[in-house]
Amino acid sequence: MGLRDDLERFREVGEQRREDLADFIQYGDLAGGRGSIQIPVKIVSLPEFEYDQRDKGGVGQGEDGTPQPGQPVGQPQPQPGDGDGEDGEPGEEGGEHEYYEMDPEEFAEELDEELGLDLDPKGKTVVEEKEGPFTDMTRTGPNSTLDFERMFKEGLKRKLAMDFDEEFLKELCKVEGIEPREVFEWARGESLPVSMAWVEEAYSNVPDEERGTWASIEEVEANVERESVQQKIRREGIKHVPFRREDERYRHPEIIEEKEKNVVVVNIRDVSGSMREKKRELVERTFTPLDWYLQGKYDNAEFVYIAHDADAWEVERDDFFGIRSGGGTKISSAYELANELLEEYPWSDWNRYVFAAGDSENSSNDTGERVIPMMEQIDANLHAYVETQPSGNAINATHAEELERHFGTDAEDVAVAYVNSKEDVTDAIYEILSTESDDNE
Amino acid sequence: MSKRNSNADRFRKQAIAADLEEPVDEARNLAVKLGLEPYPVKYWIIDYDEMNELIAYGGFQSRYPHWRWGMQYDKQQKQGQYGGGKAFEIVNNDNPAHAFLQESNTLADQKAVITHVEAHSDFFAKNEWFGLFTSGRADEDQVNAAAMLERHARAIDEYMSDPEIDRAEVEKWIDHCLSLEDNIDQHQVFSRRLDVDGPVDDLDDDIAEKLDELGLSDEVKGEVFDEEWLEKLQQSDEAVTFPEEPQKDILSFVREHGKQFDDEAGRAAEMEEWQRDILDMMRAEAYYFAAQKMTKVMNEGWAAYWESTMMTDEGFAGDDEFMNYADHMAKVLASGGLNPYSLGMELWEYVENRTNRRQVLEQLLRVEGVSWRNLMDVVDFEAVLETLEPPEAIASITPETLDRLEEVPEEWVDREALEQAQNGEIDVETYPWKVLTTEGLARRHYSLVKRQHRGFLTRVSQNDLEQIGRYLFDDARYETVEEALADVDFSAGWDRMYDIRESHNDVTFLDEFLTTEFITENNYFTYEHSQATGQFHVASDAAEDVKKKLLLQFTNFGKPTIAVYDGNYNNANELLLGHQYNGVMLDLGQARETLKRIFELWGRPVNLLTIVKDVDEHDIEVAKRRNREPEPEERGKLIRYDGETVTIDDVPWEEVEHLSADDVDYDTKPDEWLA
Repeated sequence: MGLRDDLERFREVGEQRREDLADFIQYGDLAGGRGSIQIPVKIVSLPEFEYDQRDKGGVGQGEDGTPQPGQPVGQPQPQPGDGDGEDGEPGEEGGEHEYYEMDPEEFAEELDEELGLDLDPKGKTVVEEKEGPFTDMTRTGPNSTLDFERMFKEGLKRKLAMDFDEEFLKELCKVEGIEPREVFEWARGESLPVSMAWVEEAYSNVPDEERGTWASIEEVEANVERESVQQKIRREGIKHVPFRREDERYRHPEIIEEKEKNVVVVNIRDVSGSMREKKRELVERTFTPLDWYLQGKYDNAEFVYIAHDADAWEVERDDFFGIRSGGGTKISSAYELANELLEEYPWSDWNRYVFAAGDSENSSNDTGERVIPMMEQIDANLHAYVETQPSGNAINATHAEELERHFGTDAEDVAVAYVNSKEDVTDAIYEILSTESDDNE
Repeated sequence: MSKRNSNADRFRKQAIAADLEEPVDEARNLAVKLGLEPYPVKYWIIDYDEMNELIAYGGFQSRYPHWRWGMQYDKQQKQGQYGGGKAFEIVNNDNPAHAFLQESNTLADQKAVITHVEAHSDFFAKNEWFGLFTSGRADEDQVNAAAMLERHARAIDEYMSDPEIDRAEVEKWIDHCLSLEDNIDQHQVFSRRLDVDGPVDDLDDDIAEKLDELGLSDEVKGEVFDEEWLEKLQQSDEAVTFPEEPQKDILSFVREHGKQFDDEAGRAAEMEEWQRDILDMMRAEAYYFAAQKMTKVMNEGWAAYWESTMMTDEGFAGDDEFMNYADHMAKVLASGGLNPYSLGMELWEYVENRTNRRQVLEQLLRVEGVSWRNLMDVVDFEAVLETLEPPEAIASITPETLDRLEEVPEEWVDREALEQAQNGEIDVETYPWKVLTTEGLARRHYSLVKRQHRGFLTRVSQNDLEQIGRYLFDDARYETVEEALADVDFSAGWDRMYDIRESHNDVTFLDEFLTTEFITENNYFTYEHSQATGQFHVASDAAEDVKKKLLLQFTNFGKPTIAVYDGNYNNANELLLGHQYNGVMLDLGQARETLKRIFELWGRPVNLLTIVKDVDEHDIEVAKRRNREPEPEERGKLIRYDGETVTIDDVPWEEVEHLSADDVDYDTKPDEWLA
């Protein structure tokens, strides 16, 4: 019982168990642009008697003025009566959200944690000298950088060195006929860090009736227990650790060279006639998180989108996932264009990722004769091909297979992943991101 | 989950609590002074994680084990983590109410929350729809929702841990019940067991046998209880359909007459004890939360209104905190769409202003020579507003001005408090309201002269004026405007608000107070789906249309009304439900799935009669070419689930005619729409 348990069971709903609910899960679509990412949240809504959304219509609010009747409106806006009232407690703000937003950096961290990745982005050009961690010490500096721990330790050392058993010396002063000088000398003999002035003051503070309490120094030694400084500190606690100006140390940042982490990601997608809606969607589901991930990992991320059928052309991100064309397929056209476009991003300054996706259909011999040589020619941290075949393999769809045969399954800078359903997306992402070799700087 | 009970944690919370003691006490005093009658509120200081947990649990500390809390927690956590969603307050409808303050809130936030909570607590205590769950007895024994939910949590947890009971089955059973959580009769007083009219179970079972047991002689039996009599009795009994009236509380109907479906035996079997018990619990919770769902706009608006009165008008936020507070308020009210806070608050202000305006106008119309025809011309409204301003003596009260309170009417001043103030026992600087009565405060905060409402008085339509004027007797009672205004009841606005918060729910509230002015000012419009274009289009910006659509969203939780029509359908103990069609058809996909869930709770085939709108493919094509909407045809359908397959069959119109309603129409499509 308890929320942790509820959370666990929720994660399993429709997946490991309760298949009866699988149909009621909405994952939402991927969305969001640069700067923020909207991750679809899993929502399970139990079936209920409801109105037909279309027949129901709704109420909207115009931003500037009321729109004209007949004007199309987008997706219905969330309505005030909507949603489960029970979680609509008074005071709770906002309605049903299918997304939560995060920034790419957080996303990359999450993914690293989730998948156990440790992709370490490599800095390329030196852009500036930056302050490193505060590890150097100086004797002056702003208060916030004062190394208090060090100062405390020094102070404690000093206290240990300077403290002595005052009570014992006070008892000594009560010895019959003793002089302050004798007490001082005895103390010196014991290497107690005491001053003559202190002894004189202690001596004069002894009340007359207590003078002669002890017959000799030996008697005091025999009857009064001495206490070491350590014992004393333990008993009294550290009331006064003497802080001295000379113990102050200020931490100072190391100057280190900061290499800017640049990345360029080339996304290539087959938009030919055979790439139907389902395949298109799977590509989007795989590519988008990859983009986010790299965006989160690097200081500066640039994206290049290439669509191709038998020819290739560069497109904007907004259009990238939507395009459909009718033509045949020649994957090498995209790599040729990629090669050309990458000239702007020299390998010495840029990390490069080239991701391509399609249904593995290609014109005959194109893979072996042209694509593979191009992939070998284009310097990149990683080349990846994502095959989407939701309805099983077509006979002539062998691009991925050929790549795998040529580069091997454990190649360091070529990854091939298969995404046949939504469930494969995570594995594919893992496959791709865990492939990158470590030594291609 | 993260119960960090370290001492440091406790001390920190205690320290925060100590700082809040005074605001809590004084907020209560102020709320009472303003005429509110809240349940006592217990405040708890909690940290961010605890707040997330509470929100996931719908505001309570313990709920039965269920994945949906996990879902909400997941959402809440992610929103907080990445979206910066900040939970300000939770308050439970309970007596005493429990409210939770997040420790990281600023003091200004805490004060805002506290004032807001006090108003919610008043609403819980006074609104009659909340009273339905408690049968109107709002004493502590009656309302103890936290204890009820806790009890349910423990009971269900026990069922789940029972080795004899499959945990997954319990969870599924809960889900089946939840599919029907809005299928209750939320307008009825809640009772644990509903008396449902149905066949009297045992009597007819084996009457012959029972007669035997009576040990009557054959002779007597032969005379009185002859074969014919027996046959007749049994026949009439079989023909009986129940319930007599359609019953909206489907949860209770299946509780009383439902069975479970035994998969192994392949037939209905009596429900297990735990199944009935869970049905009862789910139904009780559905009733408990129903009032909240039915009054969301009113309740939030009410809390926002009084929060604002206390924080801003009464300066409950210190000067230094005020900017912070104003910021918070602006954020809450500005979040888009029809948000219940701003919608509710505006409506409450409208209620107040309209009542006050009516008061003033009635008084003015009683001045000799003033009529609804000439009122606007002969009365100097600037001067009227001037007169309506609260006198300086109560508008600004400081220790130095206390003596001036002698000049104002007796009933505005709290004598006792004034004496204490004069002796320096009350901090008048901080709490000037203490020396006034509720009436005095109503005068002090009279709505019509507030800066943002100053135009309201003269914005009355000629039509409204005529309405007021025509039915006014005694229309020459005063000789001058001043005399008339002297008799204005300055508490009228608040009194009306108190009344409305007792008797209304969102539907009646919106119906009565959502005005044309409000709708047009906020650019509201309706949209409808076009069969011809396959998308939604703006349909109308007429106020009555917008209102109609809005009411659709609030009526019956925004859900279609479904009721039990027969528990012995087909004479085979099948369940027959009817969809009370109001011109908007059902989501048939959802309906099919829901029927499957109901089957589990009924154990025998389930049927649903409904009306759908059919549009001919050919008509759509024609419509597309002609750029107009095709005319749909309404048809009766019977959806049936027998445990294996769902079937949807046409039924003759006569069979569904009783479900159709001609007098409601939620369609706001104009005649010439897409042309």
